[in-house]
Amino acid sequence: MTLGNEKDEKNLICSEFEDQLSDYLEGGLGGEVHRGMGAHALKCPLCHELLNEVRGNLELCRVIAEPTPVLTKLEAGIMARTMPETEMGCDEFEECLTDYLDGFLPAQLFHRWERHAVVCQSCTDLPGAVVRSIGVCYTFKMEELPLPAGLHDRILQMTLGTTEAKTVRASAVSQAGEWLRSWLRPISIPLPQLAPVAMVLLFAVLLFSHVIPADASLTTVYQQSFEMAGKTYIQGADSLEAGLSNFGSSIDTNSSSEKPAEQKSQESEQKPTYVNGGPAR
Amino acid sequence: MEAAKALSINESGADLVRRCRNGDGSAWEEIVSSFSRRIFNLAYRFTSNAEAAEDLTQEVFVRIYKTLDQFDPKQGDLTNWLMRLARNLIIDDYRKRQRNPQDSVAEDVEDHIFHLRAVGGSQQNEMERRELCAQVQAGINKLPSDLRVCVILRDIEELSYQEIVDLLEIPEGTVKSRINRGRIELAKILRRMRVVNV
Repeated sequence: MTLGNEKDEKNLICSEFEDQLSDYLEGGLGGEVHRGMGAHALKCPLCHELLNEVRGNLELCRVIAEPTPVLTKLEAGIMARTMPETEMGCDEFEECLTDYLDGFLPAQLFHRWERHAVVCQSCTDLPGAVVRSIGVCYTFKMEELPLPAGLHDRILQMTLGTTEAKTVRASAVSQAGEWLRSWLRPISIPLPQLAPVAMVLLFAVLLFSHVIPADASLTTVYQQSFEMAGKTYIQGADSLEAGLSNFGSSIDTNSSSEKPAEQKSQESEQKPTYVNGGPAR
Repeated sequence: MEAAKALSINESGADLVRRCRNGDGSAWEEIVSSFSRRIFNLAYRFTSNAEAAEDLTQEVFVRIYKTLDQFDPKQGDLTNWLMRLARNLIIDDYRKRQRNPQDSVAEDVEDHIFHLRAVGGSQQNEMERRELCAQVQAGINKLPSDLRVCVILRDIEELSYQEIVDLLEIPEGTVKSRINRGRIELAKILRRMRVVNV
């Protein structure tokens, strides 16, 4: 087995094999050389692999280049003979070309267009030519001309009055404004995102400024909170009692007005007592 | 185009324009550097003449400089605004020259195309690409003026139908019809020139 650039019996080396590969695949080599290429491919695994790869790629290219015909010539011919009224003229065919390429043709027109593309010899190649010319335009677009020498300076001269643009500076006020803006920008940009955070912080400050005592110890904070809860409880109990008494008086006004004084005092005694604003245990 | 991208990364168009309005020369130089090549190429595609394209590019920039106050960042970004303005001016100039053929400039595609930049690849590929571009420009030059404008705007500038309608101020049906006719004519011309193989 020969590998690399070793010469075989036909004096063929791998680099020569590569050079003549295209001609070999297209059958353009003479008998002796053609046989030598075949023999080398059988002996050299690298060149054998290369040959198979190139052959496979060529096959793939052929498949891609030849799209499967949607409509055969026979079918189109039959349709043209049997339903001549549905045939499309060359002018109409050209008018619909871009819509066809863009995929905007309605179904009925689409089929008539495709039939004409198959049947009419002068129009068959036109869609392909248009597609290729659009592709060529794209290549043309990608190739930009360089800017002619001096044009940049001439533009600056005509607009700023000098080619040294850096010497033209903004006024001091404008520069100060710009400086200030550059400082404010990092703050101003994330504000919408930070709005909920700011709200929570504000709420926390308000709450703690109300609750936190002068010594700021945690125990006192709990104590204060407990007292506040107690006050809230008393207020709630008072309002409930007032509501119940109103309700009772609306049902039986006489009985409530004739309640003895001792009973009232007993009721007041039954109210819970609080230590530090909370109920006594 | 690359320059325009770089511009958006470095600084927003609105900031640049604001600095220009304040009289900052370096901001204006950045705009000129970013867009001059693109505008020159656009002008060249319509004039097919390097000198005329240069003059037109200068005129466009002078006009842009004078109308910077009209730029509103809320209406769109700087690239869109600037290129729209440039297209309007270049098309106006093209129409003017079509109305007065004596003002038309001589076409020097063959002379100028050899200044095309190399984008890598072998020298032979580069030569082939140059030749192809010269042929395409020559093919486009052979189109009737109304079709030519539409083909350039659609297939080279890649504008949408609606953008072309807005730019040329003609009905959408006319735009579509001209693009279609222009593409077919160009394909036939390039086929005759053997640029596009059958």
